[in-house]
Amino acid sequence: MRAFISSVYLFLYAPIALVVLFSFNAGRSASEFTGFSTAWYGKALGNTFLVSALQNSLMIAFTSATLAAVFGTMAALGMERLAPRNRAIFDALFAAAIVVPGVVIGIATLVALVAVFSFVNPALSAIWPGDQPPQLGLGYGSIIAAHGLFSMALVTMIVKARIASLGRDIVEASSDLYATPLTTFRLIVLPQILPSILAGFLLAFTFSFDDFIIAFFVAGSKTTLPIYVFASIRRGVTPEINAIATLVLVASLLLILTARILMREKKTKSGE
Amino acid sequence: MTKWYRENAPITAEQLADELMRLKRGSVTRRHFLGVTGLGLATAVLARQPGLFNSPAFAGDRGTQMSIATWPNNHDPATFEAFQAATGVAVEVNVFGSNEEMLAKLQAGGTGWDLFVPTNYTISTYVKLGLIDELDLSKLPNYDASTETARFTNEGVVDGKTYAVPKNWGTTGIALNSTKIKTPVTSWKDFFEVAMTEADGRAMVHDYQLTTIGNALVSLGYSFNSTKPDELAKAEELLIKVKPHLYAINSDYQPSMRATDAWMTMCWTNDGAQLNRDMPEIQFVLGKDGGEIWSDFYAIPKSAANKAAGYALLNYLMAPENAVKEHIANGAPTTDSRVMKLLPADVTGNKIVYPDEASLTPLEFGAAVTLTDPGRAELMARFKSA
Amino acid sequence: MPLIPLPRPSPRSYGEKGQAASSPLPIAPVGQGNRTGAASPLRPASGEKVAGRPDEGRKFEIDFNGFILMPAATNTKRNLVTAALVAPAAAWLMIFLVLPFIAMLVFAFGERAPEGGYQAAFTFAQFARLPTRAAAFWNTMVLAPVGALLCLLVAYPVAYYLAVKADPRYRLILVSLVVVPFWTSLLVRTYAWMYILGSRGIPNLLSMIGFEDVRLLNTPGAVLLGIVYGYLPLMIMPIYVSLEKLDRRLLEASADLGARPVSTFFGVTLPLSLPGVMTGVALVTILLLGEYLIPQLLGGGKVFFIGNALVDLFLQSRNWPFGSAIAVTLVAVVVVILMVAMRIAFRVAGTRQVDLV
Repeated sequence: MRAFISSVYLFLYAPIALVVLFSFNAGRSASEFTGFSTAWYGKALGNTFLVSALQNSLMIAFTSATLAAVFGTMAALGMERLAPRNRAIFDALFAAAIVVPGVVIGIATLVALVAVFSFVNPALSAIWPGDQPPQLGLGYGSIIAAHGLFSMALVTMIVKARIASLGRDIVEASSDLYATPLTTFRLIVLPQILPSILAGFLLAFTFSFDDFIIAFFVAGSKTTLPIYVFASIRRGVTPEINAIATLVLVASLLLILTARILMREKKTKSGE
Repeated sequence: MTKWYRENAPITAEQLADELMRLKRGSVTRRHFLGVTGLGLATAVLARQPGLFNSPAFAGDRGTQMSIATWPNNHDPATFEAFQAATGVAVEVNVFGSNEEMLAKLQAGGTGWDLFVPTNYTISTYVKLGLIDELDLSKLPNYDASTETARFTNEGVVDGKTYAVPKNWGTTGIALNSTKIKTPVTSWKDFFEVAMTEADGRAMVHDYQLTTIGNALVSLGYSFNSTKPDELAKAEELLIKVKPHLYAINSDYQPSMRATDAWMTMCWTNDGAQLNRDMPEIQFVLGKDGGEIWSDFYAIPKSAANKAAGYALLNYLMAPENAVKEHIANGAPTTDSRVMKLLPADVTGNKIVYPDEASLTPLEFGAAVTLTDPGRAELMARFKSA
Repeated sequence: MPLIPLPRPSPRSYGEKGQAASSPLPIAPVGQGNRTGAASPLRPASGEKVAGRPDEGRKFEIDFNGFILMPAATNTKRNLVTAALVAPAAAWLMIFLVLPFIAMLVFAFGERAPEGGYQAAFTFAQFARLPTRAAAFWNTMVLAPVGALLCLLVAYPVAYYLAVKADPRYRLILVSLVVVPFWTSLLVRTYAWMYILGSRGIPNLLSMIGFEDVRLLNTPGAVLLGIVYGYLPLMIMPIYVSLEKLDRRLLEASADLGARPVSTFFGVTLPLSLPGVMTGVALVTILLLGEYLIPQLLGGGKVFFIGNALVDLFLQSRNWPFGSAIAVTLVAVVVVILMVAMRIAFRVAGTRQVDLV
């Protein structure tokens, strides 16, 4: 049993170890180790395209996850107050947003946006007084929208589940004590659902940051980190990619660690 | 030094001195010297030639980044580093495995490319679809149509207008690892037979309808460019029979050939030359039953965001002393007699790069109809998903 | 994207409580609401669940409705607040889910333009050509469930170990270690596999012990391996969660009553972890149905999934209508599979709610 478990962990980590190892390669190749060097870290951080792809990815992931967390939470709260029929429609749509494969979401968004642009852009040109009418196109907006769709559904599901398991007596008590709904929400409901909102935000961020297939279709001329990596696989990977991947891994590990420590401190304080 | 000055300075003092020395030595033409140093601009202004004053090829509004769409292993990375050093514009290289893929991207909109590398037979379609603009040759002083070989360059001109200028020509042949494959392979017929026997599980075909379907057609005795349904049906039958024996369907076969994961592949001249240079056991042969002869061009997409940088890089690449480095690294034969003169003898004498005219006779240029023919597109898609 | 929760039916009276003080309003009895909810194929559990304990939410509401009489104005205000809460989500769903799906449906009945792309038409030709992608559908339909089952075979012992056997002191860290790979790009990790399976990797080691020219990369086996690798954490987590919730006293009871460990496992542990297993298998299968990257990178363009066929149709052969028709069909297949899976899940799990979060 133990041997099996160890080999599964080895299986999970061998490729990651390889990625990290080759980030310290002196040679140009990501597949032939010719000596130790940290030069690729410098090159990676000096590569404007790689860095801007990373920035794009972070910006897109942060924006889509934030919008998803806000709108998703609002939806989860609002859906509880809807008539059953409307709520069922929402449930079905959110479920669809989650189970429809990413490749289909990417294609459908592309098809719809291209169709919409083909109507809107000529119209904009016609009514625009100046020489350079604004033209809609694929880009950050379309990626954020397409990622946000999945992320929002994710957040809504998670927050709804949390709401469902909440004790309501305290809410009732709060209203009995003449708290306004807003105060009740702020002091009673929000603190209880906040962990699930944060969990949803994190999942949404991770999803967006790692997504390739949706962005592949709707990114237009913009490059995200996965798109950049995919393109590098085609043009020949240099250890720059390994260096960036390693940096991202280390950053996320630090983040997890910090979160753990913060949570532990909080728990000790609250005496749990 | 202000930002304005830095961005508008066409050249540094060191570079100017350097270029001046080269002009003196006679290794560059006067025209190139004027172009590279920006003195052409001064000359032009002094000569009161309006229109050139704001010419982006000389002025500094080309930003700091641009993007080029090209083929795998098609450029010397040092070229772009040198271009960045000279102009401050960093070049992002996007690699594609087929003209269809480039066309699909352009049709879907928003590619972000400022320069791309289409093959001869696609240019008329790009023009028809309005995806590329006529080139402003005044921004390309380094390009000289009179030194180009018309046979390879005429498809860049549509209705008397130049839409694309040539990069290099080449052929599509067979690369094979002679330590692994002992059967002689001299034709596409041999290629497909060996792929199913001695090279079982080790042969690669392109992810590209023109060459993969074309060479299958050739091996059956049909035209490389056929769009006849019955001939295509035969080619499909062959390809589907071969598919289980293939190593991969991929236009970037160099890594697999170098790692000897693959032993034989459809191969473009430049890749053949690069592979053979580094691994002499990899040979490059042309099918004696036919195949493709092609020329690649540079064109600027209509949707390009940074046309100024596109023109600047194109003009840079058209300068013979830059082009010659590209050709040596890339291994493809040049279309420009100025470059030919600069190439070392071991390159011009390389039979992979400059084969005998006789071996070129059975080869065909790709035909425009194959790019848009739905029958070929769908055949390729069926073959891949079979 | 770990943890894809499916809609979880909730006792539907909850939200009203938060608003109760200022804006109570008569609400449909719980049971009814959930039956309407079953209109969505994805929440068939609702009926059963509420039917199991029908009074829980209802009592509260009736109490509530009896308690406060509300003025009409408050009612309107309440509705406005509700609308404001759901409006952004509704708009998003309409513009980026419903509208694109309609567009795709329209495209699926169109024609390929002469140079590629889309041309308006009304024809069933695209759907008639679906059989030409039978191989891709077949590959996907076979390799996705096989991949999911392989994943399960590897994941179950790990989840079991983590939940039941592992030293509690290290449990958290071991569980975290399962999730950490998610933080390195799947693309980069898959690229690492290209190296491991390529001739410089394992085949090189094999040739040292006498096995020459072993080919691993670009085979269905390589794709399956990539699938197991990529989706393992997604399979481990739900099973781990369901096993962790398992009441240890049941295991002790089983042992006390003389059951051998094996029969305890098959009689108690396994059935109780089935919801997690079902979740994991459904989750991984659904995600695999749209997979593109793993077959592309580890299958050498030879092992085609529907996802690959779709990318090819849009980014190579430029047949948007046919691509749309395949995408629509894929969605239909996913929905059918999901419905069947849910049905099986409920049969296996009885009336117990399957917790997909």
